[in-house]
Amino acid sequence: MAAATLVATGESKDQTSWTISAGRVYTATGKVIEEGRVTVEDGKIRSVSKGGGGDLECYAITPGLIDLSVRIERDLSSIEQSREITPEKRIADALDWFDEAWKREARSGVTSVMINPLERQVVGGLSVVVKTAGESAQKRTVKADSALYGAIGSAPSQSNHPAFGRPDDFYSRRPTTRMGVEWEWRKAFFDAAMAREDKNLAGPGTLELQKALAGDLPLCIQAWTTQDIRTAVFLKEELAREGLGKLRLVVDAAAEAWKEPELLVRSATAAILPPFSATGRSDDGSFFALDTAKVLAERGVTIALSGHGARAASERLCYQPGHAMRGGLAFDAALAAVTINPARIAGIDKRVGSLEAGKDADLVLWSGPPFEATSAVIGVLVDGRLVLDPRTQNK
Amino acid sequence: MKMLHTTTRAAAIALSACLFASAAAADGKLAIKAGRVLPGPGMPELEKATIVIENGRIAAIGKDVKVPWDAVVIDAPNLVAIPGYVEAHSARGMDRPNENLDVAPFLSVRDSIDPVGFYFEDSLRWGVTTINIQQGNNCVVAGQGVIVRPIGLTVDEMIVRTPSGVKLSASPKMGFSAATQAQALRRAFGDLRRSLEQLVAEKKEGSDRARREALYQGRDLEGENAKGKAMEGAAWKVTGFELVPRGEIDEKLVPLLALVEGKLPAFFYCGRPMDVHTALDIAKENGFLAKTTLVISPAAYKAAGAIAAAKVAAILDGAAVYVETDPLTGEEREVFVPGELKKAGVRFALASANPTTESLWFQAAQCVGRGMPRAEAVAAVTTVPAEILGLGKQLGTLEVGKFGTVVLCSGDPLSVASWVERVVVEGRDVYDRSKDVRVKHLIGGQAPANTQVMGASLLGDPRKVVCCEGEDPEEHAKHEAEERAKKDKGEAEDDK
Amino acid sequence: MLSFLLAAVALAPANAPAALGADTFTLKAAHLRLYGNKVVDGGVVKVEQGKVTYAGDAKGAGELGPDIIVHEGWASAGLVAARTWSGLGGEGLEPKRPFTAEARAADVVALGHADFARARSEGITTMVVALSPANVASGITTVVKTDGATTLARDGHLQLGLSSQALRTNRFPTSYTAAIELIEAELAKPTGVWERVRGGKLSVYLDALSRDEIQRAVALASEHRLTGALLRAPLAGELAGEIKKAGLAVVVGPFGPGEEARVLASVTALGRERVPVAFGLESPNSPEALLRVSAAMCMRAGLDPVQAWEGLTTTAAAVAGVGARVGKLAVGCDADIVLWSGDPLQLTSKVEGVFIGGVQHESKGGAGHGGAH
Repeated sequence: MAAATLVATGESKDQTSWTISAGRVYTATGKVIEEGRVTVEDGKIRSVSKGGGGDLECYAITPGLIDLSVRIERDLSSIEQSREITPEKRIADALDWFDEAWKREARSGVTSVMINPLERQVVGGLSVVVKTAGESAQKRTVKADSALYGAIGSAPSQSNHPAFGRPDDFYSRRPTTRMGVEWEWRKAFFDAAMAREDKNLAGPGTLELQKALAGDLPLCIQAWTTQDIRTAVFLKEELAREGLGKLRLVVDAAAEAWKEPELLVRSATAAILPPFSATGRSDDGSFFALDTAKVLAERGVTIALSGHGARAASERLCYQPGHAMRGGLAFDAALAAVTINPARIAGIDKRVGSLEAGKDADLVLWSGPPFEATSAVIGVLVDGRLVLDPRTQNK
Repeated sequence: MKMLHTTTRAAAIALSACLFASAAAADGKLAIKAGRVLPGPGMPELEKATIVIENGRIAAIGKDVKVPWDAVVIDAPNLVAIPGYVEAHSARGMDRPNENLDVAPFLSVRDSIDPVGFYFEDSLRWGVTTINIQQGNNCVVAGQGVIVRPIGLTVDEMIVRTPSGVKLSASPKMGFSAATQAQALRRAFGDLRRSLEQLVAEKKEGSDRARREALYQGRDLEGENAKGKAMEGAAWKVTGFELVPRGEIDEKLVPLLALVEGKLPAFFYCGRPMDVHTALDIAKENGFLAKTTLVISPAAYKAAGAIAAAKVAAILDGAAVYVETDPLTGEEREVFVPGELKKAGVRFALASANPTTESLWFQAAQCVGRGMPRAEAVAAVTTVPAEILGLGKQLGTLEVGKFGTVVLCSGDPLSVASWVERVVVEGRDVYDRSKDVRVKHLIGGQAPANTQVMGASLLGDPRKVVCCEGEDPEEHAKHEAEERAKKDKGEAEDDK
Repeated sequence: MLSFLLAAVALAPANAPAALGADTFTLKAAHLRLYGNKVVDGGVVKVEQGKVTYAGDAKGAGELGPDIIVHEGWASAGLVAARTWSGLGGEGLEPKRPFTAEARAADVVALGHADFARARSEGITTMVVALSPANVASGITTVVKTDGATTLARDGHLQLGLSSQALRTNRFPTSYTAAIELIEAELAKPTGVWERVRGGKLSVYLDALSRDEIQRAVALASEHRLTGALLRAPLAGELAGEIKKAGLAVVVGPFGPGEEARVLASVTALGRERVPVAFGLESPNSPEALLRVSAAMCMRAGLDPVQAWEGLTTTAAAVAGVGARVGKLAVGCDADIVLWSGDPLQLTSKVEGVFIGGVQHESKGGAGHGGAH
């Protein structure tokens, strides 16, 4: 039974220092502390050690969950559709900080999220990593320009149409097929590479594409089906072979990665997996096998799970590791897939992703073993501030 | 040359055939030796116990039970035995959930159940062994339901009890407003009353119109049906009804009459809090409140007080956690509905939100997570729905005399890591996960034999590495040689 | 009851030019709303050649002159509508092109349009004619009087659209990001209307609807030091602090009787934070009467009546950039005076006479016109 007893110390709503104890503290560093305690001071973790008591108690503590594909900004006004390749556009400029989805994610235990441009664009622009709660947009931004984001599949070509008769809008353009999408990708990178020598070939977005080619900016490509994952990996390998650049590739929504895991292994590509589906059938005609996480983890692929901002409580990120475990993934790997792995993929692991002294105080308090269907998230801290109070959870 | 069948029905039939290991054991004896037995909510756990099932019923259960020499034994030292889950109301598994007619109590879901549909094999897969199939919610008065066990290739094999009750909806069907729906409900019973009164009047006049129509309908007018009986309605009666032979009542009216006479249960759907009041009024006015169970959507939790006051049970048809948006402030709120029902004192059963990942086990688990004692959460998916369906003496727990319907799980049944490994329904060993090809497909993405998965690679084994573009040419040559060697070997074996 | 004692001038319909000297008279009113919370009982306003030369109590008035109008109700400065589409005849909308920054409402507005006569009958004497919100840069507003002849300021504000209505899915720009980039690129231009905006010589109207759009508009204004006001911006009250810091005003409304409580509370919050609030219209698409109704709805929701009155007059005039000339009864201001049957803040009060530049204009829709009692 969840224990949420309190030793009140007259805290206010802005309290950022706490002592929280639990039967089990899962640090995501490989260490699990039984009867452990986490002390938080001014929004940072001060210590993680054995001990009890404190302001809050619960069954288990994990680091705050990190969702790299949370899909909060889904409005069409957030992407510039007049061109298919817009690497310079920042999704951060189009965020709606008032969306209820932030609070929804925060109270489900998700503390850091990556917002990506919509997959309608071949290259949508620059993603941003933000905290789901906090005082201001600046304070909540964990990493600006965290990745260059785009898509391969049927989504980028769906709103375009061939020009029958007189075109009256700019959707009469390439790409209208997967071939066209791939062509746009290769052309964009090729032109950016050529622009290194000939400055006249540079245009808006060239800088970002060049950074991706240099490996300074991670490239995140959404690719559900195996043929699209293949295309993404071949793109990376082709550019490397031609000496144009070495991409740091991450595949988002890699539902069919179970079919050809070797592709991800040999190209050192990380994978973000979409939410598990009840029937296995998922978007873009893909089939998402339940053991995908296990298969990829066994082969050493860095995996992260994602929740896609589900509104229904049972489909959120906190339940995804449970599905992965049903598919055979070990608990430790499942924990890593929602904490330290996404932190490393997004390059924010110095600040978040595990319970270590000095890191941000993003914690999730559980009423039972984490990720179990019989457990609930009863407490959440973001930067040391209590976003969900275990003492007010009705029993 | 393999034949690739693309019909899923064919696959499902083939699959169902695999699932039934020994259907003949129904009349024989079956013994289950399980590592742990959880007989029921609040009952003490048994370690290393045996359950003996004879003629479909539990003959003995305990640690030191002797296994009869002629019993088929399922030896499961690593598995946990639990009573099968009971789905108190489901509109799945049918050809279509509703008929177009507003008032059609003469229909029966028996005529639309599809035994080989995926729904029933999914139910077995996730431990649901008794299902009350009712029509969907898009109706005024819908047809009669059937309680089934999810095994068998024909509906008759599946039936546990028929009819199980009449389905009604207080929630407006498509195109109706709340007022129209309430009016349609009242009219349905008003029409019944008028028809019955007309029958009596005709009898008094000496008219035999009803008899002629019954003959035309091909009804049986002999024996019991030739006799008339006074009406037994609790709320209203038609005087002189004993003049009318029961066989002469229009078969379209018979189920409604049975409802009003308190002979048939009613399952009344309420989508919104206001619908609860409509449903309770209609049930009270027509004398079947005592046999009514409300099927409520999560939004109707706000009427929990009215439900409790009327002392009717409720089936929560939907997710346990209801997400509400405040219309004034736009803020989102999450409500744990079973908690609210419990607080108001409502007796409730849970229903699956989907047949697989959010089946009854998950609903019970969610309740535990939100603070409900485990015994109560498990009761809401076993004993309470069994009682609601009038099968409290046969189902819901593992006790001597009850149905030998046992589910064996690989671990804690409410855990995400546990699988249902074996299922025994009334002494028949009907499910073995090690032989369940489709669950292998779900887990590993592998297509079952003789089927083609949508989107599967046509180049052969989907797990094979694609080694064409971009690979090192030496590696490529090596792979090619290996493939050729394998193929040659295979062909050599075929020739033998 | 109304009673006119006219020495020389007969009640003539509007548009007929008045006789020489008709814009010189003295008005004695039972109650006089001067500005802000200043109300004078038994007040006097002296008008000479269309300008106010005295406004105050009877004691300090001195010589009253030959032409005296006595009004037994209230008199106040004419109302100022900080936004309207009156007089455009349905034009001012160019949704296919996102940028029409050089388009001028002044080129389109018909001063003699019936819309202005209707506005007059509601006591409105000055209006800012704005443009459609369906463009990223709609054009330049104009400030006119409702007398059918006067333009107070040919160029009022550059109107920018930062709401989702300014974006389209079938023409550039489709995103907030591109819209703002476009505006910033234009702001960097050395000449034209943008140069005037940059130098603070031309203020801006920033149209925004949702809270994140308001946030972006305020950030844009702060970063480029733009002056002016937000348009519409329901729920701006939740960002009142940021708006105050950016030094922007907000043109709210029009509000009808069914307005959301949250929106009205937002106006109250703006008032509390001392963000200048002015009321605007969307006439002729909605009635001009909504100007006072908006103020009444806000007062009922808690807005300080003084701020409500200022929103109808002085603040609106300041937002329009003509605060020195209209909006209050003070020495040197234009003699735009409205005679009411009661306190103009009360919705039960009716317009009984309208003077613009000291000349009386027809104000049909008011109570008594024609005939002395």
